Amino acid sequence: MDQKQSSLRKFLDRYGHYVKKAVGYTLTHIWLLVWVFIVLTPIWYMVSSAFSGVRRLRDGPLAPTLDTLRSFTLDNYREVFTYRSGTGQALPDYPAAFLTTLFIATITTILVVILSSLVGFAFTRFRIRGKKPSLLFMLGLQMFPSFMGMIAIFLLFRVFGWLNNPFYLSLIYVAGAIPFNTFIVRGFMRNVPKSLDEAAAIDGATNLQIMIKIIVPLAAPIMGFIAVNAFMAPWLDFILPSIVMPNNETVAMWLVRMNDPATTPFEPILFMAGAMFIAVPVMMVQIYMQKYITYGLTAGAEKG
Amino acid sequence: MHGIKRALATIKRLYLGALSAPERLKKKEPEIVWKHLVAPPVKLTLFVLTKIVNLFASVFRLLKAIVVGVKKFFVGIVRAAKYNPKSFRRGLSSFFLIGLGQFRNKQWYKGAPLLGVFLIFLLVELITSDYIYAPGEIASMPAEDTLYFFRDYGGIFMRGLWGFFTLGALTAGATYRGRTVVTEDYAYDWLAADNSRTLMGEGVIVLVLVIFLFALWIYSMRDAYVTNMKIRAGMKVESFKTWIRRIWDEYFAYFIIIPAIALILLFIVIPFAFSFMVAFTNYDSAISLRSDLIEWHGLVTFREVFGVEPAYRDFFIRVFRWTAFYAVVSSLTVYILGFIQALIIESKYVFFKKVWRLILILPWAIPGMVSLLVFSNVFGPTDGLANRLLIEAGLLDQARSFFEWLGLIGREGGTGNIQWFTHRDNANLARFVIIVVNLWLGFPFFMLLITGVLGTIPNELYEAADIDGGSSTQKFRFITFPWVLRATAPVIITTFTFNFNNFGAIYFLTGGGPGYRTADVPHALRGIAPGQTDILISWIYSMAFESGDHDAYNLAAVYSILVFILIGVISIYYLSKLKSFWEED
Repeated sequence: MDQKQSSLRKFLDRYGHYVKKAVGYTLTHIWLLVWVFIVLTPIWYMVSSAFSGVRRLRDGPLAPTLDTLRSFTLDNYREVFTYRSGTGQALPDYPAAFLTTLFIATITTILVVILSSLVGFAFTRFRIRGKKPSLLFMLGLQMFPSFMGMIAIFLLFRVFGWLNNPFYLSLIYVAGAIPFNTFIVRGFMRNVPKSLDEAAAIDGATNLQIMIKIIVPLAAPIMGFIAVNAFMAPWLDFILPSIVMPNNETVAMWLVRMNDPATTPFEPILFMAGAMFIAVPVMMVQIYMQKYITYGLTAGAEKG
Repeated sequence: MHGIKRALATIKRLYLGALSAPERLKKKEPEIVWKHLVAPPVKLTLFVLTKIVNLFASVFRLLKAIVVGVKKFFVGIVRAAKYNPKSFRRGLSSFFLIGLGQFRNKQWYKGAPLLGVFLIFLLVELITSDYIYAPGEIASMPAEDTLYFFRDYGGIFMRGLWGFFTLGALTAGATYRGRTVVTEDYAYDWLAADNSRTLMGEGVIVLVLVIFLFALWIYSMRDAYVTNMKIRAGMKVESFKTWIRRIWDEYFAYFIIIPAIALILLFIVIPFAFSFMVAFTNYDSAISLRSDLIEWHGLVTFREVFGVEPAYRDFFIRVFRWTAFYAVVSSLTVYILGFIQALIIESKYVFFKKVWRLILILPWAIPGMVSLLVFSNVFGPTDGLANRLLIEAGLLDQARSFFEWLGLIGREGGTGNIQWFTHRDNANLARFVIIVVNLWLGFPFFMLLITGVLGTIPNELYEAADIDGGSSTQKFRFITFPWVLRATAPVIITTFTFNFNNFGAIYFLTGGGPGYRTADVPHALRGIAPGQTDILISWIYSMAFESGDHDAYNLAAVYSILVFILIGVISIYYLSKLKSFWEED
């Protein structure tokens, strides 16, 4: 007994390091594999249903076997891109929704970038009376459930005849994005040294020139961040468009409609196909943008 | 909670101590009792009281500032009239006609735009009005008791103001000026029934415009007075060109933010003001049907919610408890799992760190709405993936008895497929699944964030710990954890506020279901009762938009104000604490 113990200790003394390493590697990789399985299962569900030829979700493939790989077809996509819910439409439902959303996203992006850089510039380079309380107020106001304001927005749109007009919908997105973006742009522009503007002002540049030629180019990275965020927001917002654009569908509205048992057609499998078509580009952009995730943090890191 | 725990521990220690060393304990007892039993609640109460007093003090300060400002304004006018009567008269001429003072000061470039704005207002008012018909019609169809002159003939502004303050006067079927009010009348506009909702909406817009006009008017008077004073003091009147240049330079910052301000006013502030006001009315579904008029209701709805009606209070508490639980638990689980994943991926025992990280961030990269809708299919009642996988693996019954054992499936949980979101005895199961799905969606964000933070911890700290012989547990406990926590604390707060208002997580996943048993729903809440997994925000939504004939906007607005006060105060407080926010530029 005694002999045995001491030999075990000897073994551990000599090889314990390796044992520990082996156990460590095994455990971490088992844990990671389990999580990869958990993460990938719903994603696999979406992908395999989207590319399966079946008409009902319950008949879709379960596991990634060779058979399911072989039966991949684009039938669902053909359906998605050709289905028209009414006759006399210029475009099938999904492409129409896609183009509408693309229009909204583009307008939103352009306006958000222009207005945020203007406001950011004004807020970092000039004294504006009451700017901090108002910014604080705006950011706080966004905590109010936004759809409660929608009764008013709906009435406003009806009074001015803006219903079903994607341009005015994008104005709402712009208004909603400005306070937070101002907050971010301000943090960034503040780090652009003021001596640059002063030098330019001595050379006779006007305020506008200083902004366009000096500050905005230097703030290009943060502008890119804002632009991407602004571009992505409309794709997956459902409630706002469903209220102000009842007869002009966006992609999110299409996705919800396909998934809603109360409407026809109720086609979860087409939802999977349409959702993937949107999710993949968004996913790629997000993965590319992951380095910016610390922006939210650096704003908070200076907590005093 | 903490205080109670400590008190219990103290009592235990006292008891044990009494057995071992009675003398010593006796000496210290009052001190211990004071320190652990009395002091914490007293301190807490004092803390809360000071906060409340501070709040009232700041509200009082604000009110005082407003009163002082108004007083100063009038005192200023009286002083001006007394000491500079001539300049005052210049200002007074702008009172009678906006811009007139500027013309008399020979500043046509200021007077013309001011007058122009006023004329535009006047023109719009006249064009949209029916004043020309008024004399003839009033003669032939006189009103027996009240004549709503501006309702019948006013243009957009006068009619809008009338509508805003009265919110309509006549419903269909009423008799007015010898005729019957109908829904639509093309010959006589004023015979159409009032739609309070439209009146209120237009009223708010008109009110904002009219306030703008008044602000301009006051500016015009003040400017005429001040400029005249300057002229009298011997200063030269600016030429148009220098004026433009000076204004452009001086107010450049204001000019470039005007578009943003206008958009925010139109799409954030006005809607906010509107819904805020709805809380003080009787606005429910009867209004949209034009069978009733909106009336200012004061605090009636608030009183219903907070006391008079026990049904509201009861259900509000239920929903609020689940909302708070959901917000806290989902934020914590997401944070903890993200932390664990970050530690594991960054540990030295992992090959191909980048590959693992790329796979594990996928739930963050996929748009939340898409994954939520996919999950609502995964946990579908009959053909969902979860049930199919369980059946395929032959584990369905084991899974059900496991959930029963956990207490998640109710007594009448049913047989066959597991009804994740649909059976009303399975509410706890639905809640559990919501939190799990939220965990799936949320952990990668914190994993990324904490991975980033881990990289910023200086290596010297660990080296110093190694020299002192610290174990890896100690290193985590005293270096890694505090560092990460301090860096991410603000994000935890924003995550909490986000989850508190995480409409999508409920709406797209369960739609609020399963519902309550009809017998349990009190009569007052018929049609607007929450589902068992509804959080406040999704309940508000269904109350305002998805309850058909039972839509109760005023109730929804009251609850929204409540959410706003809770969450808005937290976030404003937290934002105002950020050093970066208050730094001068």
